[in-house]
Amino acid sequence: MTGFEAIDALLAAAKEEVPLPSVEERRALREQLNLSRAQVAQVLGVSPSTVGGWESGRDPGGEVREKYAYFLEGARTKLAERAGEPVEAVTDATPDGAVEEGADVSAADSGAEDVESLPAPRPCVLCGGPARHQVAGFPQHLDPTDCGTAPAARPSHAAEPRQAAADPAAPGHPAGGAAVPEPPVARGVAPGQPGKPAAQTEETRRPTRGDRPRRLAQQVPVRPVGRRVQTAVSGSPDLIGQAVAAALARHDGDVDAATAALVKRAIPDAMALLDETRKGGRYDIVAHPWIPDVLRKQSARGADQIWEARPKWFRAHLPPGVHEVTALDINGAYLSALKTHLPIGRLEHSTGFGHDRRRAGVHLITPPVWEHEDVLPNPIGNRDEPGPLWVTEPTLRLLLRLSGPTYGLCDPPEIHESFTSGATEGLLEKFRVALKDARDGAIAAGDEVTLEYVKAMYSKFVSTMGESNYNRELYRPDWMHLIRSQAFANLWMKAYKAHAEGLTVVRAMGTDELHVSGDWRTVFPEGRGVSEVKVKDVYTVGSGAESDGP
Amino acid sequence: MPERHIEFGKFGARGVRGHEAVARQLDALAGFVTTPVTARRGLVARLHYLTRTPHARRAAREAGLTVTDRTLRAWLEGTRSPSRRNLERIETAYRTVRRHNVARYLLARLNREGRGTRVEFHPVNQSQVDRPHQRVVEYRTLNVRRWDGIVEAWAADDQDALDEAWVTHAVVDLGSQWGQYEYVTNIGFAA
Repeated sequence: MTGFEAIDALLAAAKEEVPLPSVEERRALREQLNLSRAQVAQVLGVSPSTVGGWESGRDPGGEVREKYAYFLEGARTKLAERAGEPVEAVTDATPDGAVEEGADVSAADSGAEDVESLPAPRPCVLCGGPARHQVAGFPQHLDPTDCGTAPAARPSHAAEPRQAAADPAAPGHPAGGAAVPEPPVARGVAPGQPGKPAAQTEETRRPTRGDRPRRLAQQVPVRPVGRRVQTAVSGSPDLIGQAVAAALARHDGDVDAATAALVKRAIPDAMALLDETRKGGRYDIVAHPWIPDVLRKQSARGADQIWEARPKWFRAHLPPGVHEVTALDINGAYLSALKTHLPIGRLEHSTGFGHDRRRAGVHLITPPVWEHEDVLPNPIGNRDEPGPLWVTEPTLRLLLRLSGPTYGLCDPPEIHESFTSGATEGLLEKFRVALKDARDGAIAAGDEVTLEYVKAMYSKFVSTMGESNYNRELYRPDWMHLIRSQAFANLWMKAYKAHAEGLTVVRAMGTDELHVSGDWRTVFPEGRGVSEVKVKDVYTVGSGAESDGP
Repeated sequence: MPERHIEFGKFGARGVRGHEAVARQLDALAGFVTTPVTARRGLVARLHYLTRTPHARRAAREAGLTVTDRTLRAWLEGTRSPSRRNLERIETAYRTVRRHNVARYLLARLNREGRGTRVEFHPVNQSQVDRPHQRVVEYRTLNVRRWDGIVEAWAADDQDALDEAWVTHAVVDLGSQWGQYEYVTNIGFAA
């Protein structure tokens, strides 16, 4: 007979397995509560790796399954509550809708030892609103939906007595462990069925709205690097801003002293900035390549054989009349010229007439005849000596462009020999952009210290990147010549633009000076940005009687 | 790949031994008088350098300029001019003394208190090598931290010691392919 009783007991004990959330959600729930596997494992009485197994595909069984389901359900409720969402699911799931808060106070009290109803409402320890219950002596709302506080802002220590009080509320339930981070909302559950909220309704409720802001906050910014994706760092450190701030702090805000100190260390700082901007770059900067003889100085104070095509031109004859000439200054000419085709590696010798657009360097050319000397400067500058000369890539490209069908201003130059290497325009691009951004920011903020510092950085960087003893980290006389020539070519193109727009180009000289007469404001925007021009001087030349036409 | 070349240039590769390129660069950094000793200006500059102090005279004597003070004075005044063999001796003594004097400061700049100096290895020129025999040899860089042996051997003008020091202190750190950089077109570094 006892056998049948045992069978009956067994059948009575056999219950439907508690459904568990999906594997991914188990892990997400635990992690969003900032609980480690070890913590969870300890309260469930299993090993951390077992919890790991449950979060990666295995399912627990028996008693521990119920415990785990209880934990997960509690975690979910807590998270939903944290996100400020009222948890209808739990109260809805309460069997026979037993407890409505305030409807039957004594029923809510009956199951828990420390929960007492208060004769008069007292301020809730959590939200400060009037509460009609107290748990272990702390007046509070039993249902978080009544509690007016933002649940996330609730101090955790206030929740602890409630948790401790919650455990006796679950008599005979396995989840009696004191350390279970039990959701306070469990208090709202009918005392007879604590911790067994109907999980079947949970499946429909899984993607809670409350999860979304947390997921957004946890998103990892990435960027493509090569064929992979890397975690995006929040930009390289602001070396310029840091240096300026440090210098100002060291000199107690003395602007002049700080500027002088910054200008003094501009070259090493520019090299540090260059290294920083080349991180992750495709090409290494080759700082000490073999240099052909044409790029070597003939003597300590002498020059090498490269002709940089510096413009030094004025219009010999102006049209009759009085001309108001404006001297325009191109802002940051060398800064803009950092964007040029720079040879990456060692210059290699070649002879012949072909020009490879993917390479850059210096070329021995015979320049074409320039027939527009009366209105436009010669793109190779005012060269007195006839015959072939060594020019750089920007000058050659300018000549090739001007000889093309679009411009048709001269014949193509004759290339005799070249020292070139594979080129890229992007070599100093990040460096240039960093300096330009710092410059723009300094102009917008009226920050003269940063402005002077940036100016010293790029101008000294260009002038010492050759064989200078002031910057021994970089021996690239070819780059120095190319960048300078690029600045001159840019100036030439500005002169051409002024001429094409109907202005009279009076003078083009140096790196950045252009004298024009006419309404130049329709051609060039005025300002301090690198794409704008600045007025240096305005003067009047000529008179109707004196000047004779060309 | 043998670590040391047995017959470099057999297939047309061109380059110089790494330690020679290093010595050339160190010479460039040391900054000798550029005017040749055969010119009066260069001769006087060297003699001034070698006779400025008693210590310099002693160093010059140790470096092989074993002439009397009277002769030196005559050379400086121009009443006599040194023979060709003596010009060679003056040049050798000058370079030795100059290297020795500069070495200390050069070493400090190269070691940079242990931070070392970045060195570029520009591979051999293979443009004259037949296509099937050409190999991919990359441009490499390396931070050399300990220059003591290299500068010491250079100051003593000891080619074998310099080769040994260069290979053991720098080139082997390039890894198992270091033999490809026994010969180079250029070794680039600054001090």
